[in-house]
Amino acid sequence: MALLEITALSVRFGGVAAVTEVSLVVAAGEIHGLIGPNGAGKTSVINAVTGMVAPLSGSVRFADREIAGIAPHIISSFGLGRTFQHVELFGDRSVFDNVLTGFYRHQSYGLLAAALRLPKATRSERRTREQARMLLDAFELAAFANTPAGLLPFGIQKRVDIARALAAEPRLLLLDEPVSGMSEAEAESAVTTMRKLAREHGITLVVVEHNMRVLMNLAERVTVLNQGRLLASGTPAEMQANTAVVEAYLGDAA
Amino acid sequence: MRTRVLLILLGLALLAGLPLVATSYYLYLAELAMINVIIAVGLNLLSGNCGQISLCNASFMGIGAYCSALCTTRLGLPTLISLPASVILAALLGAALGYPARRLSGLYLALITLGFLELVGFVLEEFPDYTGGIRGLKVPRPEIFGFSLQSNRLLYFFVFVLTVGAIAVGYNIQRSRFGRAFDAVRQSPFAAQALGIPVARVKMIAFSLNAAFAGFAGGLLAGVVGFIDPPEFGILTSIQHITFIVVGGLGSIAGSVAGAMVLTALPEVLRGVQEYGELVYGFILLGTLLFLPRGLVGLVARLEALRSAKPPAKEPAYGAP
Amino acid sequence: MTWRIILQLALSGLSIGSIYALVGLALVLPFKASGIVNFAQGEIVTFGAYLALILSGLGLPYLAVVPLVLIGAAALGMVIERLLIRPIVNQPEFTLVMVTFAIGFIIKAAIRLHWQDNTFSVEAPFVGPPLALGALRLNPAYLVFILSTVAVVAALFVFFGYSRFGKAMRATALDPIAAELMGIRIGSVFSAAWALSTMLGAFVGLLLGPVIGINPEIGHLILKGLIAAVIGGFSSLGGAVAGGLLLGLLETYAGAFFGATFKNLVPFGVLILLLLLRPQGLAGASSARRA
Repeated sequence: MALLEITALSVRFGGVAAVTEVSLVVAAGEIHGLIGPNGAGKTSVINAVTGMVAPLSGSVRFADREIAGIAPHIISSFGLGRTFQHVELFGDRSVFDNVLTGFYRHQSYGLLAAALRLPKATRSERRTREQARMLLDAFELAAFANTPAGLLPFGIQKRVDIARALAAEPRLLLLDEPVSGMSEAEAESAVTTMRKLAREHGITLVVVEHNMRVLMNLAERVTVLNQGRLLASGTPAEMQANTAVVEAYLGDAA
Repeated sequence: MRTRVLLILLGLALLAGLPLVATSYYLYLAELAMINVIIAVGLNLLSGNCGQISLCNASFMGIGAYCSALCTTRLGLPTLISLPASVILAALLGAALGYPARRLSGLYLALITLGFLELVGFVLEEFPDYTGGIRGLKVPRPEIFGFSLQSNRLLYFFVFVLTVGAIAVGYNIQRSRFGRAFDAVRQSPFAAQALGIPVARVKMIAFSLNAAFAGFAGGLLAGVVGFIDPPEFGILTSIQHITFIVVGGLGSIAGSVAGAMVLTALPEVLRGVQEYGELVYGFILLGTLLFLPRGLVGLVARLEALRSAKPPAKEPAYGAP
Repeated sequence: MTWRIILQLALSGLSIGSIYALVGLALVLPFKASGIVNFAQGEIVTFGAYLALILSGLGLPYLAVVPLVLIGAAALGMVIERLLIRPIVNQPEFTLVMVTFAIGFIIKAAIRLHWQDNTFSVEAPFVGPPLALGALRLNPAYLVFILSTVAVVAALFVFFGYSRFGKAMRATALDPIAAELMGIRIGSVFSAAWALSTMLGAFVGLLLGPVIGINPEIGHLILKGLIAAVIGGFSSLGGAVAGGLLLGLLETYAGAFFGATFKNLVPFGVLILLLLLRPQGLAGASSARRA
């Protein structure tokens, strides 16, 4: 079943065509890679899919629902999550609070309940905090629970970003360069985690990566963009054999 | 953090015991300070936590004050109705402002709040048949179930209890998912949206909440001071309110309490050099902005870090109470 | 409704609008240069007026007072920029806005400390009985307002269009990093922008002081300047001028046809409408990015 279907998507920024007529399909449960050299338009595609940017034309269907042009927070409520290339954590707050904020969508008590500390609110908070703690443990972040997120090394911040995105319980997670800035060991660990997410928790992943080696190991299907256009699409092996793809990278390939 | 909580409790205990030793003048001063605390708590949620600049906080205070005053004097309603009415009216108008403001930020947000401030001032002055205009309005003491709080001590306790309640509500909201949403909107609206937080709606809620606190404080102010007039609710007062939270510590409940109390007491301490009062105020604001960005709360945290001989690399979490 | 009245009102409107235009310009300059709105600009106007008061009190004729006040204001602007603004350029917008407010607060408090809330007057050569211009009567001060604004705009046009430093400022406003790489000393550019802006503000004080009297409340004018700047999209100098003139005209006509109360509503009405419907002003471009 196609969970995410992008058809002829075009995005413009001011006068620049960031994405032109890109189409791709992501099947449920798949780990799908989105690669391309710098400036290929990968982040723009993510921004358009998540509603941060209104597409110029084209369609984006998620779980059989047209989402192009819908407000970002509503798209997120359909089960579409993302992480950020430059992390975008809530730097002033602790790691625990960051992940806790991820659960916002799943808490339903109102302002009055919050103001008066009604049982509905306290119950929800207790439950959510427990879940947040478990999530921190799963990502080995418990040691940093009380550290302000902005003070952490970039690689650990990326982990927090992923944990936080998962708190929202997405069906499909768009990861924008999840291992950039990580050490070898951290990257390995992150890859293992991502595979686990897909296999054990059934979360569909779309991974934007610059690091070909990591991606080719991780992804089941790959879409290659170049200068805003679709270059090729297929299995990692097929892409590595594709001369146009290799040329586009011109030595970037690991 | 524990030090901070202890300090607050100590302060509250002192306040509770004040009527036993203080003259009515100092009780009055403390009442003003507590009303300012309510203002500061509300404003900190909007500006400190949610990061929305608002130059019209004094307007919501004025709206609450006039609503309460008019309900009492013109409509003969009891305090227990006119005070909640002030809160509700202020909250509604806060939402009304928050609606257009939700898409604005920084400069344009400051401007629209400035416009709102002037508009409210205009209404207060130009409709004297309703508001008493420049001459102002006299307001009777609050009364509970027909019993007027003429006794200074009773009035004091009334204000004290309401202030503690307001602090508790502010603290509860800050620790709830709403407080987290506010901080998220301030620090990264993109990440917030990706997590399903409706940024525009959250901003509106923040504005409405802030207005409610300010309106509540205004309603109390009217009864405590006994007289209100439009100049009290102008730009100068708004800046004073912002000074409370800047000096106290942005995003911190403890900071709101500390800043409001210290700055209300300050003109008293500067009694001898009264005329320099305004100038000193301005320098305190400027100095805090330039050198003490985390306000008094930040200062306390730095001292804590020094005392426990830890390297001050771990700055305290911003929104901690 | 005779043509004479309409033209008469137009003259009034344009002259007060010129003042608004100058304040608007003074606000947009540092914004274009370093992205900061100087909310103390109103108090800079007041400062200019009081400095003129002091110098006049020393017996100097007004024409001598003018350049001295401008120099004083320029110095003030550079000091503010160097000592108070530059250190905090990277702080959140809230801090920057509040710092400029604080500066204004301090200036006003200092003025009130010495002169209290009294209104003072100064002698100036352009204050006198109305001149006759055909069938129209024109307050000579108003004429000076309009002519001064024309002169200032022309001077700025030449400066930014043709002088080296002016072009350096434009480059810095467009792309500070590139400008620095090209060898432009952007620190000097920032200082100059602020100096220019405070000079403009003080100049308004010099013009207004003799006409409306010198008291601490003159600074309230900043609101009109802000609106003028917003009409122009806050990024266009020409827009700020047009905005100021437009505002002056709107106010004057509204006052004449609908009374004083309505006249006072015009500025806020315009501001709120503009911010609701077109926050980028009438001259700015719409943005492609949502959220």
